[in-house]
Amino acid sequence: MTDAAGVTLDGVRVVYGETTALADVSVRVEPGEFFTLVGPSGCGKTTTLRVLGGFESATAGDVRIDGQDVSGVPPEDRGVGVVFQHYALFPHMTVAENVGYGLRFSEPPGGGTADERVSELLSLVGLPEAGERDPTTLSGGQRQRVALARALAPGPRLLLLDEPLSALDAQLRERLRRTVRRIQRELGITTVYVTHDQAEALAVSDRLAVVSDGRIEQVGTPREVYRRPATRFVAGFVGDNNVFEGTVSAVGDNPAGVDGTADDERLATVRVGGAELTVAADCRRGASVTFCVRPDALTPGADRNRLDVTVTETEFLGETSRVRGEWRGQSITLRTTEPPAVGETVSVGFGPDAVHVVGVTD
Amino acid sequence: MAAARRLRDRPERLVLPALAAASASLLLVVFYYPVATVFVDAVTVDGEVSLAPLAEVVSDPFYVGWLAEPGVPGLGELSGLGRFGFTAWQAALSTAASVALGLPGAWALARFEFRGRRTLRSLTILPFILPSMLVVVGFYAAFGADGTLNTLLGAVGLPTVDLLPSLSAVVVAHAFYNAPLVTRVVTAAYERVDAGAVETARALGASRRRAFLDVVVPQLLPAVLVGATLTFVFTFASFPIILALGGTRLATVEVLLFSAIRQLEYGEAAALAVLETGLSLLLTAAYLRYERQSQTERSAVRPLPRRELVPSAWRERATWTVRRLGSRAAVVGYGLIVICVFVGPLASVVYESLVIDGRLTATAYEFLLTRQQTGASFQVKPWPAVRNSVAFGVATLAVALPAGVAVSVATTGEGRWSRLVDLLSVAPFAVSGIVVGLGLLRGLVFGAVVFGYRVTVTGPVAITAAHAVGAYPFVVRNVAPALGELDDRLVESARSLGASRARALVDIELPLIWPGVLAGAAFAFAVSVGEFDATVVLAEGGGTYTMPVAVERYVGRRLGPATAMGTVLLFVTAVSFVVLDRVGGGGVGGFGSGGERGSTGSGGRSGGDDSERGSTGSGGRGSTGRGERSGDPDGNPGRGDQS
Repeated sequence: MTDAAGVTLDGVRVVYGETTALADVSVRVEPGEFFTLVGPSGCGKTTTLRVLGGFESATAGDVRIDGQDVSGVPPEDRGVGVVFQHYALFPHMTVAENVGYGLRFSEPPGGGTADERVSELLSLVGLPEAGERDPTTLSGGQRQRVALARALAPGPRLLLLDEPLSALDAQLRERLRRTVRRIQRELGITTVYVTHDQAEALAVSDRLAVVSDGRIEQVGTPREVYRRPATRFVAGFVGDNNVFEGTVSAVGDNPAGVDGTADDERLATVRVGGAELTVAADCRRGASVTFCVRPDALTPGADRNRLDVTVTETEFLGETSRVRGEWRGQSITLRTTEPPAVGETVSVGFGPDAVHVVGVTD
Repeated sequence: MAAARRLRDRPERLVLPALAAASASLLLVVFYYPVATVFVDAVTVDGEVSLAPLAEVVSDPFYVGWLAEPGVPGLGELSGLGRFGFTAWQAALSTAASVALGLPGAWALARFEFRGRRTLRSLTILPFILPSMLVVVGFYAAFGADGTLNTLLGAVGLPTVDLLPSLSAVVVAHAFYNAPLVTRVVTAAYERVDAGAVETARALGASRRRAFLDVVVPQLLPAVLVGATLTFVFTFASFPIILALGGTRLATVEVLLFSAIRQLEYGEAAALAVLETGLSLLLTAAYLRYERQSQTERSAVRPLPRRELVPSAWRERATWTVRRLGSRAAVVGYGLIVICVFVGPLASVVYESLVIDGRLTATAYEFLLTRQQTGASFQVKPWPAVRNSVAFGVATLAVALPAGVAVSVATTGEGRWSRLVDLLSVAPFAVSGIVVGLGLLRGLVFGAVVFGYRVTVTGPVAITAAHAVGAYPFVVRNVAPALGELDDRLVESARSLGASRARALVDIELPLIWPGVLAGAAFAFAVSVGEFDATVVLAEGGGTYTMPVAVERYVGRRLGPATAMGTVLLFVTAVSFVVLDRVGGGGVGGFGSGGERGSTGSGGRSGGDDSERGSTGSGGRGSTGRGERSGDPDGNPGRGDQS
C-alpha cells in the first residue's frame, strides 16, 4: 500500500465557455482523512472530484496530491482510485477481471500475485465468491462493492468516491456507507467523497466542505458545520434549520428585561418581522443580524422568544415528527414527539443561547 | 513510480494522436488537396489566373441553353435547357419518381405490421451499399434487348420492346436506387410521430384526415425534404446509370466531365467540376438545414400503433370495412410494384448469368476465372477485375477503419467537436467521385511538387485513397455514435486504474462497440467494391480496373459476363448487408434498423451530477445517448458510390 497522500487545492477555477463550474476552490485534505464535498446538484462538487481525478483540467489554480503538482498529469499516472455512482464496471469482463484490471499496469501492492490481490480485495468488500461472475448479474450494492474493490486493487494513494451510493435504496445505502467507512479506516486511505446528501455527509466524514455555486462555503468537522454554520447557505442546507434575519434594536447585558442569562454574555434584541427576539450576540445597535435556531431548540411552552406558529404540515418520521408552520410570514420547522394538527397554533420559544449567529453586518 | 510508468507508456500514448493526425493528413492529401487542384485548374490558363475556362462553360449554349442564347435550336425538346438544365431536369424527374415510389413504402413500414417488416426496413439501407453499376446490370438484364422482360414477352408470343437507352430508363433506375432512401428517412420520421398528438387532435374535433394533415404531415415534411434533397444531389451527379442507360444523347454534366477527362481537356473538365461541385455544395447545405429541422423531433413517447396487415380476426367478415380493405389492397398493390421494380432487376442479374440461350450453364462464371484474354473485344480482363476489387476492398479497410476509429475517438469525447465530424464526413460525399478522381489524377498521379520534391503516387494507391475517402465517413458514422453511447465513466475508470487512452480504447471501448466497428467495416468494404466513378477515372489505360469498371465495359455487349460479375457484386453486397443487419444493426448508429431496436445496452448511462458538466457539450453527447447524433434521421452521411 502506498502511503496515504494529502491533497491541496489552491484557488482552483474551472470555466467551460461561458459557464463557471468552479469559481475559486481552496481546500486541504489531510493524509488518511475521509473528506466529503457536499452540496446541491450543479454546485461544482463533482467537478472538483474530476479535477482531482485528472478528467477535467483546472482553468486556473494549483492542484497537488502528496505535494506533487498534478496539472497535466493524465489520470493513469495519478495513482488515484475512482468509484462512480453508476459503478462503470466493464460489462465484458468478469468481476475478477474488473478488479484485476488495474494490476495490468502496476505491480500488486504487498508483493503477492495479481490473483491473490484480487481475492484479497473481493474478501475485503465481502464478495469472496463473486470472482467468476458477470458483473451485469450482480445487484446494485454488489456492483458498487466490486467497483470499490477495483479502485482499491492497485493500491491508490487517494480514493475518489463520486456519489457512490446515490443509485441505491435507502437501507442499502446506510449499510454500504458503513462498509465504505470501515474499509477506509482499515486501509487508512485518504478519501474524497462527493454527495448531495447532507445527512450522509454528516454521518461518514472526518471533515466536510459545503460547496455552493462553485465555491466552498465552509470546511469543518460534521459537528462544527452542523452547530456553527458559517453562512446562511450552510445554515439552510445542513440539517433542518430556522433562519431569521433582523435589525438589532437594543444591546446590553440584560436588555428588554430578560433575566436568567449568564452575566458575561452579550445579548441583543433583534426585530424580526415586527417581533422582538433576544439572542446571544455581540453586535452593535442598528446592525443587521442573521441567526439560526435548530428545530429541536424550539421548545413548547418556553416563555422567552415566544413564537406562535400556525401548523401547515406535519411529517411522521418515527421517533419524532417534523412540523412545518408559519410565524409572521416566515416558515418555521419544529421537532416534536406529539405532532399538533394542521391549522392549529402552537407556542414555542427558544433561549437566547440556543441561537447561532451566521452573520452580522453593521 | 509514477514517473517510471509515464516513461514506459510514452509510445503507447502517442498512438491515438498519431493516428488522428495521420487520418487528418490523409484527408488533406487525398481529398482536399486534389479537389483544390481541380479548383485551381478551373481558374488558371497556362499558369495565369483566368476566368476563361469558367466563362467558356457558362456562356456556351451547349451547357447552359437559353441562359446563354435564348431560343437556340438543338437536339430536340430538351435542348433548350442546355446540359446543366438537362442534368437538373433529369434529377428533378428522378427525385419526383423516387419520392413517389418511396413514400408509400414509409407508410406501409410505419403503419402496418407484417411478417418480414423488419427485414424490409433493414433493406432500405441497400442504396448505401449497392453498387450503382449493379443497378445498371440489373436494368440491362431485366429490360435490355436480351433481357428477362423480352424473354418473357417472346415466350408468350408478343413482340419484344426496346427500352434502353432512354430517359425513362434512367429515371426508373434512379427511383429504384433512391426510393429506399426516401422510405428510410420518412419511416424514421413517421415512427417519431407521437400517437398522443394525433389522438389529441381527434379529441379536439379534427377528422381522421384533418388530424393526418395537421399533425402527421408537418412532422413528415422535413424528412421528405431531406430524402428529396439527398436524392437530387445524388441523381444530379449520378454517373454510371446515366452513362450506361442514357446513351450519349442524354449526357449529363457528370458524363461530359468524364468525356472531357478522357479527351484530356482538363481545363474544361475542371470548369465543369467546379460548377457541379458548387451546385452540389449548395444543395448539401440545404440538406443539412432540413436535416437539422427533422432532428428537432425527439423519439415519440408512444409511436403510432401498427395495424396488422392481415388481422388475426380476418375471418370475421364483419370487421372488414371498405377503408380497411382499401388500405390493405393499397399495401399489396405497392408490394407488387416493389417486386417488379426492385426484385425484378436484381433477380434478372442472377437469372441471366446462369441461363444463356435458354440453357442453365456456368459459362459466364468460368469466364470470370479466365486469366487470359478470351476475346479481342474485351480490353478488360475478368480475373484481374475480381482480384483488384478484393485487393482495393482490403486496402480500403486497412486505411478507412483505423482512420475512422481515430477520428471517432478524437471527436466523441467533447460535444463541441461533433459538428466538425459531421462536416468532415459530409464533405467527401458532396464532391462527386469523378471530381475526386480528376483531382487525384491531376494532383497526385501526375505528380505534385512538395518542398522541392516531386511527389507522385501510382494508380492503385490513388484508387485506394479515393475509396478510403469515400468509405471512412461510414466508419465514423457507425463508430462515433456507438462510442458516444458508452458511459464516459468506463474510460475514466480504466484510466484511473492506469490505462493510457489508447489502452482504454483497446481494452474497454472496442470490445464493447465491436458491432459498430464491424458494421463500419462492412460499409467500407462494400463502398470500395462498388465504387465506380473515381476508379474509372484513375484506372484509365492502366491495369487497375475493378469489377464495376469491368461490368461497364461488358454491359451492352454480352450480358453473360456482365451479369456473372454483377452476381458476384450482388453477393458481396448481400454479405455486407447481412453483416450490417445481423451484427451492426442492433442499435449501432441506426444504420441497420434506424433505431427501432433496443440500444446497445452497454453499462449504465452516466447520470447523477451531469448537470455540473452539462455546459461542456452543446451536443450533449456525454449525457443522453442515442438518437442525438446528427446525420440524417438515420445517421447516414450519404453514399460513397453513386455521387
